[in-house]
Amino acid sequence: MQEPGPGSEATPMRLPRGDLLRSHVVDDPAGPLRTALDRQLSGYAVFEPSDALLLGARERGVLTFEAGVPTLAYEAASDRGGPDAIAEFAHPGPYRVELYELPASSLAAAHEATDLRVPPATPATELADDPALAERTREVAPPERVDDDGDDEASALEAFLEDEEKISAIREQARDEAEQRAAEWGLTGELAGDGEPTAGDDALTTE
Amino acid sequence: MVEAFAVASGKGGTGKTTTTLALGMALAEDHDVTVVDADTGMANLLFHAGLDDADTTLHDLLLTDREATVDDAAYDRFGMRVVPCGTSLAAFENADPARLRDVVAELARDTDVLLLDSPAALGSKSAVLPLVLADRSVVVLEPTIPALSDALKVQEYARSYGTATAGVLFNKVRDEAGVDRVADRASEYFGGETLATVPATETARTARRAGEPLLAHAPTCPAATAYREAASRIDVRDGDEADVAARFRSAVVPETP
Repeated sequence: MQEPGPGSEATPMRLPRGDLLRSHVVDDPAGPLRTALDRQLSGYAVFEPSDALLLGARERGVLTFEAGVPTLAYEAASDRGGPDAIAEFAHPGPYRVELYELPASSLAAAHEATDLRVPPATPATELADDPALAERTREVAPPERVDDDGDDEASALEAFLEDEEKISAIREQARDEAEQRAAEWGLTGELAGDGEPTAGDDALTTE
Repeated sequence: MVEAFAVASGKGGTGKTTTTLALGMALAEDHDVTVVDADTGMANLLFHAGLDDADTTLHDLLLTDREATVDDAAYDRFGMRVVPCGTSLAAFENADPARLRDVVAELARDTDVLLLDSPAALGSKSAVLPLVLADRSVVVLEPTIPALSDALKVQEYARSYGTATAGVLFNKVRDEAGVDRVADRASEYFGGETLATVPATETARTARRAGEPLLAHAPTCPAATAYREAASRIDVRDGDEADVAARFRSAVVPETP
């Protein structure tokens, strides 16, 4: 009855199926990260954009936890791991998040995949933009894991910026929303109108 | 000459007010600068500028039957003219945000650079008004994926209203080398250069506690230096005061906050 565990397709991340703790749609992914940290969860979370249809996104991210501390990240559609995977499944707007629990021993083998490792605070920073949660995660994480954090602050952001398609989608959605809101607010007359050249238009990918 | 900049960010906590006052102080070395707390629902510029006890604020100017004059609410501080906003919820509810146009139009007559510390949200007419009215925007963001996504959204809103991006400022940066690596790529999307990467600093907090802008509190700290560099990259354009005032006055009037 349950969905197969993440990584059941041909992927480098293979996890046993865990016990589902909760499944819900969240505006702020800090919530599930905080829950995992507070419960010192051994297990994993599956993140999917809940407005996938709108953005055309199909990303499905998996994040594992060791005693509540984020350990591995993997995104199935792109087959990417580590901070690059976070960049794949980070997106504006709500997520559907499923949180699963597993015995720590069941995760040991998967956690040997060091190429999928994320610095402990990266999910709090790059998914949730929550500096306090990031700091608390660093405090709880084993010191050797925090050392890994090192100068990795920008790597997920760097991978995100390489995804022109996703950034174009975010921009187009924002422009559509701006125009729609302008109409609601009676500000349509203030809109610049189509085709007015503005610096940076060349960076846009149009449909 | 006058050019109006909205200092904007997609979310709170990015250091937007610290940035507004820092850019204002740096630009004030060569220009007449007026800083306005246009974040009327969540004002905090007064705390940063030592104006906690200001008798008259922007809220008084936004009352329909106002008695205060613009001069009453404009304070000469740190080489700038500072128009703080009050923090009283009742005053906010009584204020008519549409009057911001008139206030800013009046201030525009007498200054070179107008910096509008803008709301971090885009959820209401009054929140987008500074973006609608400004000539250009300065986008402040922390170097994270959510902050960048939100900042792109702010930029698209601004551009929809014909407000181009003057530049992007990465704030609260811990890994400067990493952010330098992504800055060029980010600039391509923002259509405005990266003005600076400002290091994370506790000094911003101590400055706020002291009620002083960062550039007054710790003028030689690395963050202050980065803010000066950012200001030096903003090429203030000549605008005709009358044109700007007219534009502000003719803008569509939002009805309610």
